[in-house]
Amino acid sequence: MTGLPILDIAGLSKSYGAVKAVNGVDLQVHRGEICGLIGPNGSGKSTFFDCSSGLTRPNSGTVKLDGQEITGWSLNRIAREGRMLRSFQKTVTFGALNVEENLVIAGQMFTFPSIAATFGIGARSRARIDGLRERARELIRISGLWEVRNQPAGNLSGGQQKLIQFASMLMPEPKLILLDEPMAGINPKLIERVVDSVRYANDQLGVSFLIIEHNIDVIISLCRRVVVLDQGRKLAEGTPSEIVDNQAVREAYLGG
Amino acid sequence: MLFQLSEQIVNGLVTGSVYAIVAVGMTMIFGVLRAINFAHGEYYMLGTFGAWVAIEYFDLPYPLSVAIGVIATALIAMVVGQLVMRRMVGMPAEAGVLATLGLALILQNTVILVFGGGYKFFNGGYIEPVTVFGISLAEQRLLIIVICALVFVGLELMVTHSRIGKAMRAVSQNIECCAVVGIEVRKVVVATFVLGAALAALSGVLTAPVNVSVYGGMGELITFKTLPIIIMGGLGNVRGTFFAAMILGIAESLVATYVGLQFRDTVGFATLMLVLMWRPHGLFSAQARY
Amino acid sequence: MSLQETSLPAPGRDLRLPFGLALAALAASAPLLLGSYALHAVIISLIFLLPAHGLNLLVGYTGLLSLAQAAFFGVGAYVSALMAVHWGTPFYLNLPAAGLVAGALALPLAIPALRLRATSFVMCTLGFVIIGQAIAKNWISVTRGDMGLSAIPKPHFAIGPASFTVNGTTEFYYLALAVAALATAIVWMIVTSPAGRNMVAIRENETLAESVGIPTWHYKLLVFMVSAAFAGVGGSVYAHYLTVVSPLTFQMSYSTLMLIIVLGGGPGTISGVILGSLLFVGLSEALRIAPELRMIAYGFCLLALVFWFPKGFTPLIERFWTAIGGRS
Repeated sequence: MTGLPILDIAGLSKSYGAVKAVNGVDLQVHRGEICGLIGPNGSGKSTFFDCSSGLTRPNSGTVKLDGQEITGWSLNRIAREGRMLRSFQKTVTFGALNVEENLVIAGQMFTFPSIAATFGIGARSRARIDGLRERARELIRISGLWEVRNQPAGNLSGGQQKLIQFASMLMPEPKLILLDEPMAGINPKLIERVVDSVRYANDQLGVSFLIIEHNIDVIISLCRRVVVLDQGRKLAEGTPSEIVDNQAVREAYLGG
Repeated sequence: MLFQLSEQIVNGLVTGSVYAIVAVGMTMIFGVLRAINFAHGEYYMLGTFGAWVAIEYFDLPYPLSVAIGVIATALIAMVVGQLVMRRMVGMPAEAGVLATLGLALILQNTVILVFGGGYKFFNGGYIEPVTVFGISLAEQRLLIIVICALVFVGLELMVTHSRIGKAMRAVSQNIECCAVVGIEVRKVVVATFVLGAALAALSGVLTAPVNVSVYGGMGELITFKTLPIIIMGGLGNVRGTFFAAMILGIAESLVATYVGLQFRDTVGFATLMLVLMWRPHGLFSAQARY
Repeated sequence: MSLQETSLPAPGRDLRLPFGLALAALAASAPLLLGSYALHAVIISLIFLLPAHGLNLLVGYTGLLSLAQAAFFGVGAYVSALMAVHWGTPFYLNLPAAGLVAGALALPLAIPALRLRATSFVMCTLGFVIIGQAIAKNWISVTRGDMGLSAIPKPHFAIGPASFTVNGTTEFYYLALAVAALATAIVWMIVTSPAGRNMVAIRENETLAESVGIPTWHYKLLVFMVSAAFAGVGGSVYAHYLTVVSPLTFQMSYSTLMLIIVLGGGPGTISGVILGSLLFVGLSEALRIAPELRMIAYGFCLLALVFWFPKGFTPLIERFWTAIGGRS
């Protein structure tokens, strides 16, 4: 946890009309850390995510990824060049494609480097694709999706699709992953598997995480540091136990 | 010069009224169905043919043939509404485009198959000139303007006062809520569709004496004219559609006089594309629905 | 070729190779089997296969509904005709030029159009056809207006002293077949490549595609251009086959027809589109059905496709395929 934070956000603001959804929030995620982001409904967590990941443009503030300023970059550029990936609250996969294809697509990560690579011509680009397939199979096995690997992702259960989405994000060797409510709407039995996957990615692959989650047990078991948002502002920051004991946080949840 | 200009503007208002009566139905259908009706001009054509048949084969007077054209079209629209349009509720926009394109092909070519593809002479209407404020124009043209005004006042009253009108407005604002509060969305869709088709037919029979010629392919041109109007008017926005229609009518009339007749039919789409590049959601807000 | 892979390979013999060879043999010997009118019908369907392939990349693989295809078909036809008539350039130069011009023209048109949402985008693409027709009608000094351009030479090849003119129906059939086969090979290469995979990702979920690093905007732009280029090439073959072009080449009904080929054959499949063009263009042309009846049939096809066969008519054929013991 030395050196520059992997993600350094300063004074991020975004308003929709007169509503200040996010109002001057600072947030850092340190290298190798799993950081939690919580807050009552409507506190601006999702808008904060959208602004940091490039889905929407913030009104003001800066986003630095690994020391490089990425404010105003598009979602695809941040994913490709910054290797910062994000998930979506609604379970999303490429429904008509099978599980393996889903992962291969997520691993491709190129614009149009050369005609050969774009169209998969030549030994080198074929080798690259073969490498991606191998990696995809490995991740599929780790995620426990081996039996369904040839099925269209859209036919699988919500929990399985979450696992596909998570495995997809590991394909391009990410530096940082933003997870938007990974446990929402999935079978309680699968929660443990997603938690394990996050731990695995953090320990073995060195991926840092910023996680929005309503399930406070998950946050306590995964995160060493938690940031609380309320009404678009940062309300508190600290270890999970500090946050649980924090009076202002309790009031925000009860009063919200 | 100035006289000529004012004459052209009056002509433009007549054309605008014709377009407005067609386009208002199309925009209301979009409001409840969220789909563009690519077959809308065909109902204009059907209305005209209905009246032409009444005059040509049964020797009926013009006012009666107007009624026959409109009623016949409304009946056809009712069948189409029950069989096709009500299935489109909740389908993606692309499905609506394809289904209505298919309907346009069927309606247009059935009429050509039955009556032949050639031009027909429409023998009816009031073509005696009258002079209003120093400008002389055919009685029929004056009639078109008057009826257009009546149609819009009538629609305004309908959506604010009648049950079905209120339901139409409700569906166009929030279709999910309507299902919850017990409005039968599919019935409202069919009703709106029949009303829109009947208005298109009315516009067709009113214009026929001015255009004189009647032919199977005439609906397509009208569809192409009204598409830009309803988009510029803000999809689903009745008042916006009225103004957009008048603007296009006047613009066409001025272009035909001062630029060249051959460019008249491209004005709509050319303007539309410029407008879309400048304001992707039309000139008038799509929020302010009827 | 099907996108939806099933979990287990169906039991049965792999009939792809024998079937493909039989098909190739059939294609090669078609002039012997068919009368000259039927052969003409096949040529027309091979020509329409080109814009349909392009449209399939756009509609079937990338998920963008466009009515602009007839506009680029017309552009290709006029570019070829003008070059051949005014400059006397040969077919093998006009054909790529038509594709390039149509593709290049698509760029400035696509940039504003692709910013629009579903319905407005469709409308804008329809506008291209209408404006294209108006230009062809009114730019009389170049296009000769409604008269159109006539006496476009039949394709002529000259290599050194040897020269060869594609005159008869049979000869033109092989030329059209060669162009169509080449186009099919290119489409196959695109859709099975990493780029093709990204296109399907955009169709399935654009935001998710963005989030895994696919520059969706650039992809859509490029696919639109490639699709226009295919239409342009089709227009070029059309012009050299009929030897006349008129503003009616820019026809809304051509766009509709190309859509029916793609959607009816099976969007997102190559074999489906080939089948679609043979079925909807070739068959109806060969049977000499009255144009009105054909249009009515097309209309009912569209309705059937929207409400009952969203995957096109190919699933029916696939069922037949499995019934005779083949494997998809």
